[in-house]
Amino acid sequence: MYELKAVHKRYGLAKVALRKIDLTVRDKEFLVIYGPAGAGKSTILNILAGITRPTTGDVLRDGVSILHLPPERRDAAMAFENYALYSHLSVGENLAFPLHARGMARAEIDQRVKRIAEILGIGHLLDRRPGFLSGGQRQRVALGRAIIRPADIYLLDEPVGHLDAKLRHKIRAELKALADDLNATVVFTTTSSREALALGDRVAVLNQGRLEQIGTPADLYHRPANAFVASFVGDPPMSFITVEPRREADRVAFVTPDGMPVATLRADALDGLRPADASIQVGFRSNEVRLAQQGDSAALRGRVDVIEHLGHSKIALVGIGRDQVSVSVPAHTSIHVGEEVAIAFPRDAVHLFQDARAVVHAVPSV
Amino acid sequence: MLQRPTSFATEVLRYGLIVLVLAFIVFPILWMVVTSFKPPQDVMVSPPRFLFTPTLDNYVHAIWEKNFLFYIKNTLFISVTSTVLVVVAGALAAYSFARYNVGDGHILFFILSTKMFPAIAVILPYFLIFRDTGKTAVGRFLGVGLDQPGALIISYTMFNLPFAIWLLVSFFQDIPRELEHSARLDGLSRMKVLRKVVFPLAAPGIAVTGVFTLIFCWNEFLFAYILTRKTASTITVGVESFFTLQGILWGPVAAAATISVLPMMAFVLLMQRYMVRGLTFGAVRG
Repeated sequence: MYELKAVHKRYGLAKVALRKIDLTVRDKEFLVIYGPAGAGKSTILNILAGITRPTTGDVLRDGVSILHLPPERRDAAMAFENYALYSHLSVGENLAFPLHARGMARAEIDQRVKRIAEILGIGHLLDRRPGFLSGGQRQRVALGRAIIRPADIYLLDEPVGHLDAKLRHKIRAELKALADDLNATVVFTTTSSREALALGDRVAVLNQGRLEQIGTPADLYHRPANAFVASFVGDPPMSFITVEPRREADRVAFVTPDGMPVATLRADALDGLRPADASIQVGFRSNEVRLAQQGDSAALRGRVDVIEHLGHSKIALVGIGRDQVSVSVPAHTSIHVGEEVAIAFPRDAVHLFQDARAVVHAVPSV
Repeated sequence: MLQRPTSFATEVLRYGLIVLVLAFIVFPILWMVVTSFKPPQDVMVSPPRFLFTPTLDNYVHAIWEKNFLFYIKNTLFISVTSTVLVVVAGALAAYSFARYNVGDGHILFFILSTKMFPAIAVILPYFLIFRDTGKTAVGRFLGVGLDQPGALIISYTMFNLPFAIWLLVSFFQDIPRELEHSARLDGLSRMKVLRKVVFPLAAPGIAVTGVFTLIFCWNEFLFAYILTRKTASTITVGVESFFTLQGILWGPVAAAATISVLPMMAFVLLMQRYMVRGLTFGAVRG
């Protein structure tokens, strides 16, 4: 088990990469660190690897500080985002490098190199130098060099980010299976929501050096801690509508500035809602709402701005007042840009945010 | 690239120019080699004689009477030792300048500034320093004194190191840091990372530096002329001794010069193998 304790990392005087991060990597878990570019994902991996020293804070392995341990004594394997291949060596020699460094027997090295190369589909490239490979092939070599050896923890920095879609899908599946096989502890960074949700036993969402939320993919998707997580996890991201509360006896109605009702919740479910009534937003996923049909009581009216075809369905971006929301509609639905539509809300899938912090999730409306 | 059709006249002009430039470069070398095989009476005749009976007398004279191999031996020892010192010290210094930005660029500039005065400006202080060190026990033991190889080795090393560091810094800067990080994680210690990853990737730079330094040492005349008399003299000083009271012995001079060129040519050809571009190509996403 690895723990970051109040890890703070500053570069120079002004540039803060990590702000007091507390993070636990459990044994044998596949932890995904997910965040936009520049969030501090790579810095966390570098700190775990021993390449970077935190400005303050501690790094523990099984309760013992490992801050003083140099990288070569940490038993961590890492795939770098920019590959970092030994360009003076062939692909085969690159893969064998960590095994040679550990003094493994020739025959076993050959066998392992062959197996990894086969999994990653680079078996025919073993004699080439990295300079003669495509970007995707280099990325696979970098990944292979990291996973070829047994290690206490595998640190994979966006290892499939630069592969084409088909290959990414394949390698992602293989990676997950391999991690399960090896019973390995893996920390994986990505900027893809889909990858984070698909791979992670747990996902840590990082933004501007801050840990926004850590939890299972379902937690993040259904119970985002704040508007950032909600708008960053899931594709399309959660939509928001700015609302104002109207108190009525034991319930609170939330209406748009134009007076259109969005949801009505029981007042006793709203303990977290502070009296200050500024900046309250209702959030919902594109599949939690639908286009209203005849007979739906409450519905929001808006105009279709954009339609995205996903194949199995369409996403309609609908402008409502100053907000824009995504609605998932079946692929065969006839819908056009510019069309006036009404959106119906279900009774049990409303997320409420105040000042960008989640107040309640999925509370049944009344 | 779009190729324009070239007329016959342009082609003639092109090759004419090439021949002209080549004549300036190749002819002196050719004449040196040719002269070294000429009998004395054919060396200085006018018009120059292209047909003659070749003889090895000049080589015999240079090697046996003037003991030229002794100068070659001296030069080899002095040049190779300084080159090794320059490359080793230069590579280590350049690495730390490139990686850790020691001195924030100021020290690096200061080092180069020592190349800004002419060699002749320091020759007198050097002469005095080596005269004095040669009298001490340590100086005698290490051979650092006038007419001793240590004096030239130190001079050449001091003179070539700044340039070598500057040349090497850019080669080390081209090696991505992540490669070193990766090698550390793969289980190598700091020193092993230098040996297995950094220096192999900087090999072209090290080869170029070695070639430049060796050529400089091999051809250096001023320091050798002032700081040596007899026992530590190098080939350039040796050739100078062919300028006798009876006149300049052009035949043996040409023979000695031809012999001195050969080791350098062999060395450069050998190093050419390492002087390849783009060794770090493909290491990181570009």
